[in-house]
Amino acid sequence: MKPASSTENPFAGDQSGIHRREAAARRVLRTGSYLVVLITAAILLHIFVKGAPVVFQPEWPFVNTKFLTELPATLHVIEDKQGHHIETDVSGADVIKKQLGGNFASEKTISHSGGGILGPIVGTALLVIVSVSVALILGVSCAIYLSEYAKKGKFLETVRLAILNLAGVPSVVFGLFGLGAFVLTAPKFVDVPAERSVLAIPLGFTTLSFEGWDTCVLSGGFTLAFVILPVIITASEQCLQAVPQGFRETSMALGATRWQTIRYSVLPFATPGILTSSILGISRAAGETAPIMFTAALAFKDKLPWQKDLLPLPADASIFAHWEQSVSRFLGIFTESVQALPYHIYTLAAKIPQNEYAERAQYGSVFVFLVLVASLAAVSVWLRIHLRKKYQW
Amino acid sequence: MVTPSPNSRPPLVQIRGMDFSYGRTRVLHDISLEIECHRVTALIGPSGCGKSTLLRCINRMNDRVVGARVTKGAVMVKGKNIHDADVDLTRLRRQVGMVFQKSNPFPKSLYENVAYGLRIHGEKRKDVLDEAVERALRHAVLWDELKDRLRANALTLSGGQQQRLCIARAIATRPEVLLLDEPCSALDPISTLKIEELMHQLSRNHTIIMVTHNMQQAARVSHHTAFLHLGRLVEFAPTEELFTHPREKLTESYLRGTFS
Repeated sequence: MKPASSTENPFAGDQSGIHRREAAARRVLRTGSYLVVLITAAILLHIFVKGAPVVFQPEWPFVNTKFLTELPATLHVIEDKQGHHIETDVSGADVIKKQLGGNFASEKTISHSGGGILGPIVGTALLVIVSVSVALILGVSCAIYLSEYAKKGKFLETVRLAILNLAGVPSVVFGLFGLGAFVLTAPKFVDVPAERSVLAIPLGFTTLSFEGWDTCVLSGGFTLAFVILPVIITASEQCLQAVPQGFRETSMALGATRWQTIRYSVLPFATPGILTSSILGISRAAGETAPIMFTAALAFKDKLPWQKDLLPLPADASIFAHWEQSVSRFLGIFTESVQALPYHIYTLAAKIPQNEYAERAQYGSVFVFLVLVASLAAVSVWLRIHLRKKYQW
Repeated sequence: MVTPSPNSRPPLVQIRGMDFSYGRTRVLHDISLEIECHRVTALIGPSGCGKSTLLRCINRMNDRVVGARVTKGAVMVKGKNIHDADVDLTRLRRQVGMVFQKSNPFPKSLYENVAYGLRIHGEKRKDVLDEAVERALRHAVLWDELKDRLRANALTLSGGQQQRLCIARAIATRPEVLLLDEPCSALDPISTLKIEELMHQLSRNHTIIMVTHNMQQAARVSHHTAFLHLGRLVEFAPTEELFTHPREKLTESYLRGTFS
């Protein structure tokens, strides 16, 4: 049935600019979205092209194990008269110079660019462990209180405002705060208070002295914890709120106290989400440079945190003495300053003269860093999918 | 219709001249009710008349709502004013169980759902828990259907089974009073029928107070019916009497459906 051609199309669009504007708006918005994808891809591709050759190698075991398992060191590059470049470390340099004899032309040293990046990887891992533990304990407690206990009103508004403000504080401010609070004034137990101690409270067997923890993993970890605290609180609160109110009502109606209700019928169902979001907190904590600059990170360190010179025990030392030493060695890890990946990258890129060798170390570190952060994100996505299947309602 | 049989026991729940407010808005006015032991009492009335609020006064679930409070009168359960300072809420709620409109089993196993109340009251002995779970499921007429899948997640049950599981969960702690807040409103007719049969059986051991918006349901299962309108108790009488010879004009017109 063909409509009579004489009837007018009742739905004919008017030919005003409205359609052109519609099409233009769509084009602009679409271009914007494509650009974002393009930029992300460009960054990843750039890092991959420049960094992958440093980390991977064509022959077995295909991964540059030296780069991943050695501490950073100064790179020595020796040139002979034929123009060959030989890369080596301090001890290798002398041997090679002797071998070359008269053939030796010149030697270049590039600091931080030799060896590997095990030190920064370990340091970042330690900082992340401390900061996430602290932030989770504080953040989840705060989120539970806000979501389950606090009455709506002035107080709740104030706390929320504080969290928002905390999220907006520039990270270098956290760094300076960490320097003042943890490095210089945090309390610790000592036998003899240091001269710079702000306040020393004698406790008889020991003294509680507010003399700070020095630059160490603890100071840096606590500072980073405050940086990620708003993320953890906000995300945890959302996860708690996502647990149906009916669970709470039912639990209370069965005679549970508020804490029992939280413990048995709210937290178990919010935990997957809290863990997922805390993994995102990890990526954030791992990536921050400014907060650890003054509180934990060193540009260079030739030892891992547990490689410390402790007095050797006498041969007849008791089991207890061995045990005590292992404990103090373990705790000592957290009172050492460390290298960290973001700070190491900063040092390589900004603190040493640039050349091909420094650049290679930079991109290698950035690549490893990116892979670490990306795998954490992947774990978080996997956790979310896996746990969502398990805890649905 | 269930004919009330002579009942000599004293009223288990008494509400005496109670006013109730949310903040400044008074939602219940001067309610007085006496609910007899081992009887089913239905609260009916148009939406927003305060029947759910009244129900939630009996186990103080309204305490959770900010600004909600009883401003006059008293709610007595087993002769004790439940708003007295020396009333332990967890003890009260253990004896006054509640089932909600929306079935909300925890996403745990059937067993854990039913054992929840006992566990939070500190019961750890496995044989006691096993026995209580079986008893509750039998009373909720779920045992034969589900005894082989006690470890299955409760969310795998059908809607009607879920609601009966919630009832089992509520009676596992052996409450004397059972409050049901529109327990069948989300269920199909067959599941509804099963729950109604269940209520009939449960009334042998429990005092049941239910809110329903379904007048036929009130007529089918309850011994007494209270009709509320705009926060006031209009009429409270044996169900048969209220449905056949309502004393109040308002009740009559509501039952006839001339207003809602």
